[in-house]
This record gives sequence, structure tokens and C-alpha cells, in this order.
Amino acid sequence: MKYAALKKENLNKWLEYLKSKARLYAPKKKENQFVFRPVKNVDEACLKYIPTVIPPKKYYFPQKEKLLKFTVEPFHTAKAIAEFEEFILFAVHTCDIAGIQCMDVAFKEGPEDPNYLNRKEKMTIIGIECLEYCDTHANCASMATHVPRGGYDLMLVDIGEKFIIHINSEKGERLVRNVSYIKEAGAEDMAVLCFVREKKKNIFKEEFSAGLDRVYQAFGDGFKHKVWQDVGRRCVACGNCTMVCPTCYCFDVVDDMDLSLNSGLRYRIWNSCQMDDFAKVAGGEDFRKGRENRQRHRYYRKFRYPVDKFNRYFCTGCGRCSRACMAGINLVETVNALMDGGKLNNA
Amino acid sequence: MRKTKPRVAFFDFTDCEGCQLQFANMGEGLLQLTELVEIVNFREIMSEAGQDYEVAFVEGSITTESDIKRIQEIRKKAKVLIALGACAATAGVNGMKNRFPLELAKSRVYGDKAGTVNTIASLPLHKVVKVDYFIHGCPVYIPEVLQVVKCVLMQKPYALPNYAVCVECKMNENVCRYEKDQECLGPVTRAGCNSWCINNGNRCYGCRGLVDNPAADAQKDILLKYGLKADEILQRFNLYNDSLGEKYGQEFK
Repeated sequence: MKYAALKKENLNKWLEYLKSKARLYAPKKKENQFVFRPVKNVDEACLKYIPTVIPPKKYYFPQKEKLLKFTVEPFHTAKAIAEFEEFILFAVHTCDIAGIQCMDVAFKEGPEDPNYLNRKEKMTIIGIECLEYCDTHANCASMATHVPRGGYDLMLVDIGEKFIIHINSEKGERLVRNVSYIKEAGAEDMAVLCFVREKKKNIFKEEFSAGLDRVYQAFGDGFKHKVWQDVGRRCVACGNCTMVCPTCYCFDVVDDMDLSLNSGLRYRIWNSCQMDDFAKVAGGEDFRKGRENRQRHRYYRKFRYPVDKFNRYFCTGCGRCSRACMAGINLVETVNALMDGGKLNNA
Repeated sequence: MRKTKPRVAFFDFTDCEGCQLQFANMGEGLLQLTELVEIVNFREIMSEAGQDYEVAFVEGSITTESDIKRIQEIRKKAKVLIALGACAATAGVNGMKNRFPLELAKSRVYGDKAGTVNTIASLPLHKVVKVDYFIHGCPVYIPEVLQVVKCVLMQKPYALPNYAVCVECKMNENVCRYEKDQECLGPVTRAGCNSWCINNGNRCYGCRGLVDNPAADAQKDILLKYGLKADEILQRFNLYNDSLGEKYGQEFK
């Protein structure tokens, strides 16, 4: 079975079933935004949502992650977590799945990161395809992440009364096989799916004023462009843009003693290139002084450096950095200004 | 081979003693702490007032000439001096006094008795004596207090966060206060409190002081964009911050 169909009236039943199989995480409303949370009550799972405050990254690369237990006398170290639990991420947008693919590239580059890989191994991803824009901040059409491009176990598409489920892995198939109310998708279902996808082409339009090749070129030429001064002047260096990014993977490592002062835990904690001390070294030298240089660096880490290194853009078009920036620094405007040689609209 | 426990004393100057209260209310942690240190002087929890100590936790700002003498005496005795809380670390709310001519401040508070009051500008401890550790916050955040205590006992410096409260707030996945049409000083305020107030539905008042290099004009842009007037912005900043005008200097004055 490659495509299955699930009637909407059976969705909650299926969610209960998924919950019985592994720990289930899904988007949930929080005030006027959304967050991924463990599903307690299946009614709370949201399938139509604006990208969550922080991406589901927190489940495979936690904000603060225990790495190692240690004692000083007698000296001993051990893995902080012996075994990880199985979990299912439900209703992940295609942009966030692209984020997972980016993280894979970064963390699988030698030397591989065992903590990341241990968690990833236990993860099942059930995606949901967006049929319209979440809001005006997204640039997923330019990044071509608005359509499913692999990296998931199951992908749901809402075709009205049913969800079509694309089965993309054996892991995924196990969650739909032998479930009485999930049937193989028929020819009629597939025809509706084609229609829905066709309609989508008229909704999603490239948000950048030119294609990605041109974007890449603009970054090649634009290191000294005045747009970086504009962005730097407005930035408060709060770090929001990097904290919410699905592809930012910088971290710091700290040892934390407990009150015995003889044993403790080693953690890694998310870090951000927007912080004042990020590129400071002993003696106080700072290799990336100034907010304009740090913002520029962030952009280059999405649109130029990873393309050279991994042949992959590290922007997923989710729009979180623009959404989270209270100074109104907007990714699409910045990239367009870099290409057009123009000034930012609200600069 | 347990070495003798360091003797610890608590002192206060101009403050509300709320930071010591945080300490006293620590619960089980306080019992664990007494395994590591001997508390010899802490008037909120004991009647003894020992004068033989190695570590001094000092709450409050320096606001009189006699305060200066007293803190200098404490400094002489203590091997380690810790500024406990906003009043001690940045002058805190006491710093508001410094924004007015001293005589005006005195007459506003004491009326016709102003002449009998002997007071000077509010100073954080480090303006008078050397401070070894700073614990910011109004009140202090106990998990951070414990981090500092451990550093003291291990004779290590405490790495004071030099990034914005937003960083911790985002990691806690709070909905941004600006999304809720509230102004918040998180973007320019020093982290370390694990965004305590925002986690509990409040906004950031900037009690921990500004980061080393605050983008004051960019933050002003943001507050203006969200509809605050210049004097309202000033009020938000002034509650806790920069009473000596060292950080954002002329920009807000």
C-alpha cells in the first residue's frame, strides 16, 4: 500500500491508536500561538496551525540536553540517558520536515552526533501538507518546501471528507496497516489529490523576487551591501530569530555540579550567533563585533555557506524568524533588498 | 575528608529584605546548603549574629555615609563578598532617586523634615567595595543563587549570562508579550532568571539590569512601534535600570 485514506470522523480514533503505540506530540493552541506538546486529550491536537513558537526540533535536539553523568572522586562517567523512548511527531508541516532534513545533514557529518542520532532513531514523523499559506511571513514556495519532498514516515493531505495518507516508510506503514478504518486510497481519492495539488499551484507563489540561483549569487556579491547596516541598526540582539529557527544547531556545553560538589551532569544548551559573547575568545577579542555582522552571518548560514558545504539551503521558509522579530526584520524583505540593490521597506 | 565548612553571614542595607526571604524560603535546598556551609548570621532565620565569617551575602544599596563605613568593614572581614539582588548589584529601584537632584528627592519623601535626613546618591555595592559575585534580580532567582553558591564553594567565577531574557523565554516557548500587545524589557535585559516572570504570565520589567551591550535605540524603535511615547519608554527603563547613566547614557535622557 502506497496511499491510504482515512475518513475525518475516524481521526480521533486513529490518534488514540497512535497514542497507544508511542509518546505522541502534536501542535496545540497556546494563547494566540501554537506549540508542540504531548497529546493528553486528542481533541486538542491542531491540524491547521501557524508554525509553532519553536519547531519540533526540541524533541530531537532539546533546548537543554543531558549528555553525561560524572563523579569526581572516584572519577567515573556514564551516559546520562541509557535508553530513549519511541515517539511520534504528528501534523508536522513540510517546512519543519525540511528542517529535520537539514539537521540530519549537519549532525550526520563526521564525527556523527550520537545524541542526535539516538533520538532520531526513535522518532516517527507524520506530516501534514499545507494547502494554503499559514500567514504572510512564510517563504516556503521560494524554498520549495511547501510540497512534501520526503523525510517523513506518513504524510497527510486533507481532501475534504478524508485524509489521503502517503506511506513513505515501513515504520509509517506499521501505523496504518491492520487498522480497520484506514483503507487503501482508491482511484477517485487519487484524482481528488491531483486536483487539490493542482489548485495549490495557484495559491503558492515564489516570495523572493527571483529564483534561488539568483539569491545564492546575490549573497556571493552582497557581503558589503548596505542592507546589513539597515538590519543591524534595527536588531536588538534578543536572539529570537535563531532560537525559533528549525535549522540553527549551535550549542554550548556546560558542566553542572550538584550540591554534593562531587558529582554532576554535563549538558548542552542551545546557543546563538546573535549573542554578544558568541564569537568572543580569551583575551576579549571578538571575531564578529556588531549586530550588523551577526545578522549578516545568520543569513549567510542559511543562503550561502551550507549551499557551498552541503549543497542545501538551510532556510525552510517557515517564516518563524520574521514572525518572532519584534523589530520587524523580515527575511523576504531582506533577501529581496539584497537582490534588488534596494532599501528595506520599513528601514 | 570534609574541610571545615565556610562560615556565611547575611547583611542588608537599603532594601526590602525580599532577596534574603527568597533564601529563607528555599526549603529543602537550604537544608542541603547547611551541609556545605555554616550560617552564622542571618537575622531572618536565626537570633545569633556571629561576626566571624568568610562569605558575606549583602543585600541592598548604599545610601548613606555610614553605609559606606559599614560595607567597608564587612569587606575587610569577608574573603568573598556577594551582591545579593538588584539593590546591591545595580542599585535597583533605589536608583530612581538618582534621577532627581538630591535635595528634591529628599523633600519629596521627607517633606519639611528633609533637612534632618542624611542621605547620598543610591549606589550599588561595587561602587564602594570590590564585589566578587553578582546575583541579579528583584528578587533573586533561587536556582541562580545555588549556581553562584556552588561557584563560591569551588572557588570558580560565575559566568553571568550576557544575553537577553528573550533567549530563555523562547526556549521556554512562551508566547511573546509583544504578540499580546504588551511591552516587555526582555530584549535588552540580562538573562539568568529563566524568564521567570513571563513563564508566569507577566512581562519583563528589566529587574536584572541591561545586558552589557544593549541596543537601546533599537529597543526604543520597538517600543515606539508598539505605541509607547518617549516618556513612557523612559519610565519602563527607569524602574530598575542604569541609575548612574553608564549604559545608555544620553540616548534616553
